[in-house]
Amino acid sequence: MKVKGRNVLLTIMTLCLSLLFLFTVQPAHHTAYAADDSLQKIKDRGSIIMATSPDYPPYEFQVSKNGKSQVVGMDVDIMRQVAKDLGVKLVIKSMSYDSVLVAVETGKADVAMSGINPTAKRRQSVDFSKIYYNGGQSFLINKTDVGKYKNKAALAHKKIGAQTGTLQYNLAKTKIPGATVKGMDKNTDLVLALKTHKIDALGIETPSAEAYVKNDHDLAMIKSGYKLNKNETGSAMAFKKGSGTLAAAVNKSIDKIKAKHLTTQYLANAGKYMKVNTNNTSMVHYWTYFAKGIEYTLLISAISVIFGVLLGTILALMRFSKSKVLKAISVAYVEFVRGTPLMVQVMFVYFGVGIIVNLPALLSGIIAVSLNSGAYVEEIIRGGINSVDKGQTEASASLGLAKGDTMRFIILPQALKNIWPALGNEFVSLVKESSIVSIIGVTDLIYQLNIVRADTYRGVMPVFVAMCIYFVMTFILTRILNYFEGRMKHAR
Amino acid sequence: MQDKPLVEVKKLQKNYGDTEVLKEIDGTVMPGQVICVIGPSGSGKSTFLRCLNMLETPTAGQVLFEGKDTQKFSEEELTTLRERMGMVFQSFNLFPNLTVLDNLKLAPIRVKKMSDKDAEEKAMGLLKRVGLEEKANVYPNSLSGGQAQRVAIARALAMDPEMLLFDEPTSALDPEMVGEVLAVMKELAEDGMTMVVVTHEMGFAREVANEVWFMADGYILEKNKPNEMFEHPQNPRTKDFISKIINS
Repeated sequence: MKVKGRNVLLTIMTLCLSLLFLFTVQPAHHTAYAADDSLQKIKDRGSIIMATSPDYPPYEFQVSKNGKSQVVGMDVDIMRQVAKDLGVKLVIKSMSYDSVLVAVETGKADVAMSGINPTAKRRQSVDFSKIYYNGGQSFLINKTDVGKYKNKAALAHKKIGAQTGTLQYNLAKTKIPGATVKGMDKNTDLVLALKTHKIDALGIETPSAEAYVKNDHDLAMIKSGYKLNKNETGSAMAFKKGSGTLAAAVNKSIDKIKAKHLTTQYLANAGKYMKVNTNNTSMVHYWTYFAKGIEYTLLISAISVIFGVLLGTILALMRFSKSKVLKAISVAYVEFVRGTPLMVQVMFVYFGVGIIVNLPALLSGIIAVSLNSGAYVEEIIRGGINSVDKGQTEASASLGLAKGDTMRFIILPQALKNIWPALGNEFVSLVKESSIVSIIGVTDLIYQLNIVRADTYRGVMPVFVAMCIYFVMTFILTRILNYFEGRMKHAR
Repeated sequence: MQDKPLVEVKKLQKNYGDTEVLKEIDGTVMPGQVICVIGPSGSGKSTFLRCLNMLETPTAGQVLFEGKDTQKFSEEELTTLRERMGMVFQSFNLFPNLTVLDNLKLAPIRVKKMSDKDAEEKAMGLLKRVGLEEKANVYPNSLSGGQAQRVAIARALAMDPEMLLFDEPTSALDPEMVGEVLAVMKELAEDGMTMVVVTHEMGFAREVANEVWFMADGYILEKNKPNEMFEHPQNPRTKDFISKIINS
């Protein structure tokens, strides 16, 4: 009997894996045979969707304009011009830098534009436009080190920071002898690392370096002095493979922009925003940002708790059902979800499932967090059901009560009381772990916190504020849960 | 009616893995009969009782209820069987998440589809009968053992069973509470309830039972009228057991 049960489980696991395999193979076929309708699709839709990571001034960053948060910068101005030339509207989708290329590969966006360098490696997975801007490479250093690090040669055997997955990262690794390269996701974090002397210099594009130096008087910059192939070092827009028609149309606009030297004007525009931006860097000034973050974090948590508990209950009941198949599905689901990181699940739902159904980021985030929480809740509920004395089931059966009634009126209410502390713990960690949805651009508290950091050039204070907010939220939640626990005790 | 057996047990056998708990059990329960099952611990008394209402599935042999094989019952027939054959447990097994009143009301409402009002009336009547009217709205954990067991009996009665199974109903009670529970049971027997009682209360068996069954090692070794059983036991094992009980 036991062996048979395991066979069912194995079959289901294999099935899941083969489905996954299909998933990964299918898109390749798609691109190979599909006709190039990339431009027509955009014209039919009347809008072009741009994926960007707005934490990279002056290329793209977020500002508050008339109380509304908005993505601005040189890239945005260029793309606005491109959209105008194409006769369509521009729609901007914000997400983490790691996600922008995936977004075009999976069709979540038409174009990725985030100060991206078209390296040879990247050309294997996406198509690129012409280079629209070549800012050049620089290093940010602490002003106190200006005498020490005069040029690239002085940085040998030092600690160099760079954004993970960027050209700067690879350059520091290959072109500076003996350097230790430290990669982080965000330039804001890297600048903080520089200022706290965890790194000695930060590889960054010249326009960004200039922006930081202008806004932070403790920083200075030096030119990199790398000798580079212009086709790899400038910034270009990325498209899904096989988007020839779209790329051609966009390239025409780029030529026009270059001929008119519009980028100079765009950069000046961006500079103006940055000045406005740094006037008031107090956290109070940014309260609307944090408020929005709180709103989304609470929204995601609340909905995910509800669906997590529902799903967890269903999975737990499946686990106790007579049907071997239902039991095996439940076991396989829980094992799989518990065995994979939430971050990967969030990206899979957004990008992976997105190939079939186009889910908005917020919905994807809620789905992923709910599905994840369901697995943990199942384990908690299962423990709770097991903790109810067997005599209860027997007494109920001896009265002729149906299994469903026994669960509903006798076992689950008692289980709930037993598992309440563990369930509360799960709710609290859900509030905290929901922060992972920021990687797909959901404007939760963590995402907003990073926007504020990029905006104010202040590394620590926004983190501290977010920390306090998280604590207040979870503290209130704990009080509420304790209140209900007390009431349940009173009732029994 | 009186000549047709309510329950017949034929060559009943129950194994747990390699352990044979019941080896071969035969017996008949007539309507209105009170049967006390006695015997040393581990002899399979409780298992036997639980095979009667199918809380345990027999490994071999048959349990017939009104001539029908309980192992072939559908879910529906099984529910009916359990409606008609109530059970009282050693550890009461009241539902701690429900008030005493709701403990009594749940099954009539859910299984018999009784209205809330009727169920409440019935429950209050039964609580009065076991002398616990004033405890209707408390939760079981505030009851003493004796009170809890009386509530458990009332809960079983709420389904209007024709027969009640008692699985050592007084074994978990403090000595001073045994009497109140036995009194309720005695009253039930006098009202003509069919009862199978697994018990160590020899006084009760002697006074109330129509028949006493002595069980040991998975067999019923002796069946007899109470007086015969206690005064002239036939089987050497019975003799040994009864002399130990009486001398202790």
